[in-house]
Amino acid sequence: MSTTINKKNLQSPRYRAPAAIGGRRNPAIGQRRKNFQALGFLVPALLILGAFTAWPMISALRLSFTDASGFGKEEWVGFENYARIFTDPVILNAVANTALYALLFTPTAVALALVLALLLNDPRLPFRGFFRTALFLPFIISLAVAAIAWTYLIDPQVGLLNYWLSSAGIRLGNVLQDPILAMPAVAFVAVWKSFGFYMVIFLAGLQEIPGSLYEAARVDGAGAWTRFRHVTMPMLSNTTAFVLIFALIAALQAFDQIYVMTGGGPYGHTETVVMQIYSAGFRKLDVGFASALSYVLLAATLLLSVIQFVFFGKREREGE
Amino acid sequence: MKKSLTIFAAIAAATLSLAACSGAGAGSENKGSKAELTFWHGYTEADGKVLNKIVDDFNASQNEVSIKVQINPWSVIDDTLLPALSSGKGPDIVAMPAERLPVYADKGAFVELDDFYRDPTSNLDKLAPAAVEMETVNGHKYGVPSGFVPLAMFYNKTLFAQAGITTPPATWDEWIATAKKLTVDADNDGIPEQFGLGLPDHATVANGVWPSLFYGNGGDIVKDGKAVVDSPENARTLKTWVDAVRNDKISPTGLDGIAGDKLFSSGKAAMYLGGPWMSSIAQESKIDFGIAAVPAGPKAQAASAIGISMAVTQQKDDSKAAAARKFFSYFMQKEQATAWSLGSGWPPLRTDIPAGAVASNPVVEALTKQAEFGRPLLPGVVNSTDVLTAVDKLTQRAVAGENIKDLLSETQASVQKVLDTK
Repeated sequence: MSTTINKKNLQSPRYRAPAAIGGRRNPAIGQRRKNFQALGFLVPALLILGAFTAWPMISALRLSFTDASGFGKEEWVGFENYARIFTDPVILNAVANTALYALLFTPTAVALALVLALLLNDPRLPFRGFFRTALFLPFIISLAVAAIAWTYLIDPQVGLLNYWLSSAGIRLGNVLQDPILAMPAVAFVAVWKSFGFYMVIFLAGLQEIPGSLYEAARVDGAGAWTRFRHVTMPMLSNTTAFVLIFALIAALQAFDQIYVMTGGGPYGHTETVVMQIYSAGFRKLDVGFASALSYVLLAATLLLSVIQFVFFGKREREGE
Repeated sequence: MKKSLTIFAAIAAATLSLAACSGAGAGSENKGSKAELTFWHGYTEADGKVLNKIVDDFNASQNEVSIKVQINPWSVIDDTLLPALSSGKGPDIVAMPAERLPVYADKGAFVELDDFYRDPTSNLDKLAPAAVEMETVNGHKYGVPSGFVPLAMFYNKTLFAQAGITTPPATWDEWIATAKKLTVDADNDGIPEQFGLGLPDHATVANGVWPSLFYGNGGDIVKDGKAVVDSPENARTLKTWVDAVRNDKISPTGLDGIAGDKLFSSGKAAMYLGGPWMSSIAQESKIDFGIAAVPAGPKAQAASAIGISMAVTQQKDDSKAAAARKFFSYFMQKEQATAWSLGSGWPPLRTDIPAGAVASNPVVEALTKQAEFGRPLLPGVVNSTDVLTAVDKLTQRAVAGENIKDLLSETQASVQKVLDTK
C-alpha cells in the first residue's frame, strides 16, 4: 500500500515532469492547434464576409476609377469620378443634407436612449420588463416598413395622427412636402425605430456599474445629479462612445425611410449621399461614379469614427 | 483598451458594409435547336394575363422560339435589370417605362433594331410615329413600343352634375373656370373640402402632367438636344396654373401622382389627369367618371404620353435577337395588336386600327380618339432621370410660390448641364 502511495507520490511528479518539459514546448503546439480550430470555425463566416463584403469592396474600388455601367465595356478614367463629387452642386447639397440629418438624428436618438435607459434601470419602476420590450420592439421592424406605416399616420388626407391632432386644434399640414419639416420627419422615424437598440446597450452598460460606487457616493453625500455626473457618466463613457459612433454611422447611411417617404423631396431637401449613390447606380447606370461616392462616404465615416474614438479614448485616459 | 479595440473592430465591420455594390459572372446559355427566351414585363393586372396569352399563342404558333415570361412590377424591373445584366443573367426581352430606355440603350445594353424597322415583315411600318420616336436614341432605334397613350382628363360626373355642368372643358379658360366652380370650401376655413382639379406639382402621373401643360402653350423642355425650359411660353404656363392653384385653390399644393390618384378616387377632386389605369381605380372606388382629352392650351392640344418599350438585351449569340424579332412581328400583327389593346386598356399601337375596332371597350375607344395628341416624354434623352428631377423641382417650387423667372433660368441651366454631361 505504502509503496504504491510512495510510487504514486514519486511517480506523479516524475510522470508530470516530461509533461512539464513538453509543456514549455507543447503550449505552442497546442496554441497552433487551437488557432487552426478557431480558423475552422471562422472559415464559413470569413467566406461569407469575403464573398459578400470584401470582394465587392475591392471590385467597387476598381470600378470607382472607371466609367463602368455595370455591364458591357468600361474605361479607366482615373480620379475623374472623385473630382466630380467635389464639384457637383447636387452631391454637395446631398452632403449638406446628410450632415443636417446626422445632426438631427444622432444626438436625439442617443439622448433619448440614455434617458429611457436610466429610467428603466431604476428598480422602483413597475413593469420594467414590459417597457423594455415595448420600447425595443420598433428596432426589430424593417425601417422601410416603419416608414410606410408612418407615411400613412402623418398623411394630410387620411392620416390618423393628423386626425387626432386636428381634434386638439393642431394642424400638422403636409409634413413630408414641407421643405423645412420633411427632414425632421424622416429623422424622427429613424429615431423612433432605432433608439430602442441604443437603449438596450445603455442598459447593459448601466448594469455593469457596481452598486458599491453609488453607495459610496451616497455616503459622501452626493445627490442624484452628482451621482449621475461623477459615477454614471464616467462609467458609461465606453458605452456612450460605442452608441454615438454607431448612431453616427447609421445617420451617414440614411436611405430606407427617405426613399420610401419622400424620395429625396420636396425638391431635394431630403436628398442624402446614399440616395445619390442609389440614383447614380440604378437610375443613371453610372456605377463608376456611384462606387467613387461610396468610397468617399466610407472614408468620411471612418474619419469621423476615428475622431470620436480618439476623443473618447483621450477622455478615458484623462479620467484615469 | 481591450474594450475599445473591440468597439473599433465593430465600427470597422459596420463601415465595411457600406461599399458593397458590384457583381460579375457569366450566365449559362441554353443551347438547343429551339431558341428559349426570357421576357420580363411589369403588366401585373388583367393586362398581364392578356400579354401572357399572346406569348403562349406565339409559342404554340411555331416551333423555333419559345418565350418564358417573368412578371415583375415596373419599379422592380428597373431595380433588378442592372444587377441581372451585370451578372449576365438578364432577360432576353425586357419591357420598361419608355423614358428609361435611352439610358440603357446609350450604355450598350440593347440590340439596335434599325434593320428590323426597315424589314417589311416586321409589321412596324404602321406604328404611330410618336411612339417610334420614343424608341430612338442617338439616331438609332432600340425598342418596340408595347404601350403608348397620352394622358387624359378623367372627370367625376356626379360632381359635375351637382354643379350643373354638362360638358367637360375643352380649352384652358374653360378648364380653369370649371375648376373654380367645382372647388367648394363650405366651412370657409381657407381649405376646400372639394377641389376642382387634382394638379400634382411633383412626381406626377408618368411625369407627364406639367410637360402636357407646357406643350399646350407652345413650350417644351428639351428640343433637339438643347434645353428650352426657360421660355416666355413656359413662364406664362406656370403663372397661369400657379395662380389658379395658389389664389383660387383649385387644387391642393404639394400633391404627387399617388396622392392625386387618391384624391380623385375618394371623390375629393372633380377633374384629374391620368393614365388608362385611372378607369379601374375609379371603378373600384365607385366613381361615375367620364374621359375627355386634356383641354387645348392657347397654342396646341397636346398631352405627354405614357410609353412602355420592349427591348432586346445584348447577348453573345445573335440567334436570340432574331428570335425576339419573330415575337415582335407576331405581336404587331393586326389581330394581336387589337387583342392587346382591348386587353391592356391602352389604345392600339397601329394607326390602321380605328377607334371603332376597339369600341367593345369604351375606355379604350375614348383613349384611341385622343391618341393623336400624344407626344413622347423626353425621347432620346439619356439622362431623363435628372431632367425630370429638375422639372419636378421647378414645378414644386413654383407652386410653393417662388419667383417663376428665377426658377426657369435656374432649371434651364441645370437641364442644359445634364444634357451636356455624357
